[in-house]
Amino acid sequence: MTELHRLTSGIDGLDRILAGGFISGASYIIQGQPGAGKTILSNEIAFAHVAGGGRVLYVTLLAESHERLFQSLDPFAFFDRTHLGSAITYVSVFQTLRDEGLDAVVKLLRRETKRQAATLLIFDGLLNARDRADTEFDVKTFVAEVQGQAAFVGCTVLFLTSSNVSEVNPEHTMVDGVIELKDTLAGVRTVRELRVRKSRGSRAVGGLHKFEITDAGVTVYPRIEALPAIANAPALAPGRVGTGVAGLDDMLGGGPPAGTVTLLAGPTGSGKTTLGLHFLSQASEAEPALHFGFFETPDRLRAKAAALGITLAEEGTALEMQRIALGDNILDKLAYQLLDHVRSRGVKRLFIDGLGGFERASVHRPRLVEFFASLMDQLRLGGVTTLATWELRELVGTDVSAPISEISAILDNMVLLRLIEEDHRLIRTVAVQKMRDSHFDSAVHALDFASGGLVLGEALGARHTRPNPQQTRG
Amino acid sequence: MAYILVADDEFLLAMILTDVLEDEGYEVATVSNGEAALSAVYKRRPDLVITDFMMPSMTGLEFAEAIRGDKTMASLPIILVSGAQGAVARERPELFEEVLDKPYQINYMLEVISKYIAK
Repeated sequence: MTELHRLTSGIDGLDRILAGGFISGASYIIQGQPGAGKTILSNEIAFAHVAGGGRVLYVTLLAESHERLFQSLDPFAFFDRTHLGSAITYVSVFQTLRDEGLDAVVKLLRRETKRQAATLLIFDGLLNARDRADTEFDVKTFVAEVQGQAAFVGCTVLFLTSSNVSEVNPEHTMVDGVIELKDTLAGVRTVRELRVRKSRGSRAVGGLHKFEITDAGVTVYPRIEALPAIANAPALAPGRVGTGVAGLDDMLGGGPPAGTVTLLAGPTGSGKTTLGLHFLSQASEAEPALHFGFFETPDRLRAKAAALGITLAEEGTALEMQRIALGDNILDKLAYQLLDHVRSRGVKRLFIDGLGGFERASVHRPRLVEFFASLMDQLRLGGVTTLATWELRELVGTDVSAPISEISAILDNMVLLRLIEEDHRLIRTVAVQKMRDSHFDSAVHALDFASGGLVLGEALGARHTRPNPQQTRG
Repeated sequence: MAYILVADDEFLLAMILTDVLEDEGYEVATVSNGEAALSAVYKRRPDLVITDFMMPSMTGLEFAEAIRGDKTMASLPIILVSGAQGAVARERPELFEEVLDKPYQINYMLEVISKYIAK
């Protein structure tokens, strides 16, 4: 099969979803309510095309004035006024539509596309054209004619429309692809999502994908679990990655196996973060480390480490600390940020504090299992040994409920940190619940704080066989 | 009554300018591209042309070049209004009497017009 010639959108995430970008000479509808982002998206695509040597004809009907449009585009990095009127031309054809009808517009577009030698035509206002048409057949004809003429000269077409998604749109059958932009409320926050509803001749990544609009323009975050599956991961490198807490490594059969994901589950105050700091303290040039957390700031963590006597490498050397504040976070954006940091530094030790930060960012909870499974697969693929925390709700006690269903899909090993009350004191304990490919010590041990951090205490079983001094009296 | 031709592909802007000029007592006709402007001036010569830059079929620049290239028309006063091409237009002072940047103050436009037309 011959490789189709692609027109890049200039937006990485969107190109990935479109399996490489738009197909050159094809026609697409970009659909969305006012405010959904059609204009910004299409202009960013236009300027990316110009930057790549292409020429753009941007056609409007009844819209805000072009000058207002330029002013609203000024803040964006992609917008460059020097190209206006040369590589990219903005014209209105409203009067022609109003006075002469759709056929005249088709003719005008053909002439102007040729005159400007345009390789990308953006037609903003398909809805207006529909209003002017006498029948649905007229609209289909209009779209088919514009599309056909453009394809003849190798010009790609984007039709922008505000028409309601739920309506049956006859013009959808004519074009090669339909991209829908949505701007909805999830609870109290705004969520922008796009979906490729149709993609002729190319396998697009389906479903809803998040995107955001910032001064950098449009950034699209494809759902990580929807991207083409990773080929079978290479066999794990043998060896263990020490946690930095000696006794704990013994419990884990020598430490977490390299390239695995270990969940540290426990209530607040049980020592999860401290254990993570030990793990990070083992960073070296050969094993760069990354802290990716949502709660404590790097400064506070370093202060905590110092207070405990745990030595951490300087920021920017073998250790990097990234903190994302809880807020309107975008789930897939977090994944890409994490993976970018991991890949750019060749990170081998990753401490995620905690998975709950990802959970809070999700707006479609049912996908969390697949999201985490995909994220962890990618970390394993990179040979990263991960410790991730999960806060359990039971504050003190011995009952543990799984933080999330299908948890075995997410993790290789699970370490439980609990607080139990004994003799009116809270005792921290640690136990290994599961290891996927290793033997482990299943005894529950105390976890004590000493100078230098956490130290494994004795097994609780041994503790109880020792007579209580108070009991032997009388 | 002085007769002004307005050329702009942006319908709303052309309408607004037309209304203001008519209120001032001018007679106004509008066209939506440079080609239409060219045939309009030959059909009935206006006292002044106010033209946009970016238009389909023929730009305001191409229109002015065509006008200046014809001895019989070359003295026609042309004012250019442009959102983005102001600088480009100013590089050709022989083509335009004045270049106004969009958005312009309407009073300033009226002042400029009165310089080139006796009402």
